[in-house]
Amino acid sequence: MSVFEMKSVFAGYGDRNVLSGINLHIEKGEFAAVIGPNGAGKSTLLKVMAGDLAPSSGEVLFNGRCVCEYGAREISRGFSVVHQFLDNVQAFTVREFVGMGRFPHQGFLGIESADDCREIEDAMEITGVSGLSGRRITDLSGGELQLVRIAHSLAQNRDVILLDEPVSHLDIMHSVGIMDILHDLNAVGSTIISVLHDINLSSEYCSSIIGIKEGEVFLSGAPADVLRYDLVEELFGTVCTVNTNPISGKPFVYPVPGHVRKSFAK
Amino acid sequence: MKQAVRTTLFVASGFIVAVAFLSLGSELITPGNIFSSLTGSGSEIDRSIVLGIRLPRLIMAAVLGASLAVSGAVFQSLLRNPLADPYIIGVSSGAALGATVAIVLSLAYPLVVLSSFIGSGAAITAVHLVSRRLRMGSATLILAGISVSFIFSSSVFLIYSLTSSEKVHKSLMWMMGDLSMSRPDLLAAVSGASVILMSVAWIFHRQLNILSFGRSFARSHGVPGSSLNTLFWTASLLAAVSVTAGGIIGFVGLIVPHAARALFGPDHVKLLPASAFGGAAFLVMADAIGRSIAPPYEIPVGVITSFFGGIFFIVYMMKRRAPD
Repeated sequence: MSVFEMKSVFAGYGDRNVLSGINLHIEKGEFAAVIGPNGAGKSTLLKVMAGDLAPSSGEVLFNGRCVCEYGAREISRGFSVVHQFLDNVQAFTVREFVGMGRFPHQGFLGIESADDCREIEDAMEITGVSGLSGRRITDLSGGELQLVRIAHSLAQNRDVILLDEPVSHLDIMHSVGIMDILHDLNAVGSTIISVLHDINLSSEYCSSIIGIKEGEVFLSGAPADVLRYDLVEELFGTVCTVNTNPISGKPFVYPVPGHVRKSFAK
Repeated sequence: MKQAVRTTLFVASGFIVAVAFLSLGSELITPGNIFSSLTGSGSEIDRSIVLGIRLPRLIMAAVLGASLAVSGAVFQSLLRNPLADPYIIGVSSGAALGATVAIVLSLAYPLVVLSSFIGSGAAITAVHLVSRRLRMGSATLILAGISVSFIFSSSVFLIYSLTSSEKVHKSLMWMMGDLSMSRPDLLAAVSGASVILMSVAWIFHRQLNILSFGRSFARSHGVPGSSLNTLFWTASLLAAVSVTAGGIIGFVGLIVPHAARALFGPDHVKLLPASAFGGAAFLVMADAIGRSIAPPYEIPVGVITSFFGGIFFIVYMMKRRAPD
């Protein structure tokens, strides 16, 4: 049974459909990257999966059951979401913020059980933020905050994690650090679905790539199969070259600048 | 440790403000005589002033101050807007319209109270109905609140343009905030309602913490829309209760939550009690000043809170900005 399944899903805002007929499966243990040009509908796809946005038609199944049939708390125990941005960052400490991830698991009084404490500490250990425990999240650097947000989502749920552009604004060290954490989680059984802007990080880390173009699934498959120069060029509407990373053996995509293209044509 | 010192100072300052309130006024009463009046001894006159007039008024000021501050704290987190205050969704304009209609019709005081409560309830309902169609987004709530405020305020002005200046004056005095009508029945009803509403807000402190990070964040934690509605109505009714009983007392609900956040952090488990206590102390102090600054006249408490509140807030912002 697929963790997520979408059947001819249409969704959008007001009268405008951003997603027009999406069909896809995410299997248990998959590490899927969602790539595609800006405005193609990647974030909308994630919102629909998370039940944040109701599809105008079609069906979204989580563990074989329609997302719409789950209660608010029930579904938030099933997977965690790292949104692209926090609307507002309040001056909670790192420990308090990571602890909020346990909310869906706690009873009415919200008393932290021994289980909760262990999950919180494990999550902070995995992401390497234990040392920041007492710091206020408003005082952290962008890279540290992102690690703390991942810790928060791990405290909530480690089986299925949805992320919207988790590394877009980070330096290469933090990007690789976060992708390594996600890789290790995936290796021990987490299903991970992440919107990514960096095609090469997707290629290096993910087991499958879903390319979204104009609200439809344009390509889908293992990096080695779908990261061909002709497909990537058509997906993004640009010119590029694809080669192989000599160390990892994974394909890597390199753009061809406009001026080089022109001088080449001559 | 620092927290404990802060809490102690906070409570001590509240106690000092309460004693000052009971002793100040047209008749100065020493703290010693206040104590003997409270314990049942002391002179007849002191007892009737302290127990009959000042103590009910002290309790009323404390309850209204606490309600306004808690309402403001909840709205600031719910709407994720530091400028949010208890009146942001038009409660005060609704109450003003209700009270003005009753005053123009020369109704008795209890009916003025009832009418202003109905007016504020109408404003809350209108904002809720408009926003619900648009998923209760915070910008929607604020804009709906502003629109409703304008509609109700212009209705008040329409009534003013058609009525006698004496009644206009009476209505304006009501709006400026008046704690002199601290009748026992009103006091009991207001205190009961406020304590229940503040408790509801506090029970939802974890949901508020999560909601303060944004709606999609809340949704992915399984905080349902019903929690949002409960908190919206709780904060709105707290504002309605206080505006109905004491008129439009500005600024308490805006600055006290900010000060409480700066002192005790953003966690609502502490923020709400700190706001309640701070709001109570602030309004009691403001009313003590209003009553004793120019005897035998009383300056409306809303004038004092807004005047000193404004100065305090500017100083606070300048100090906060200093490091950057």
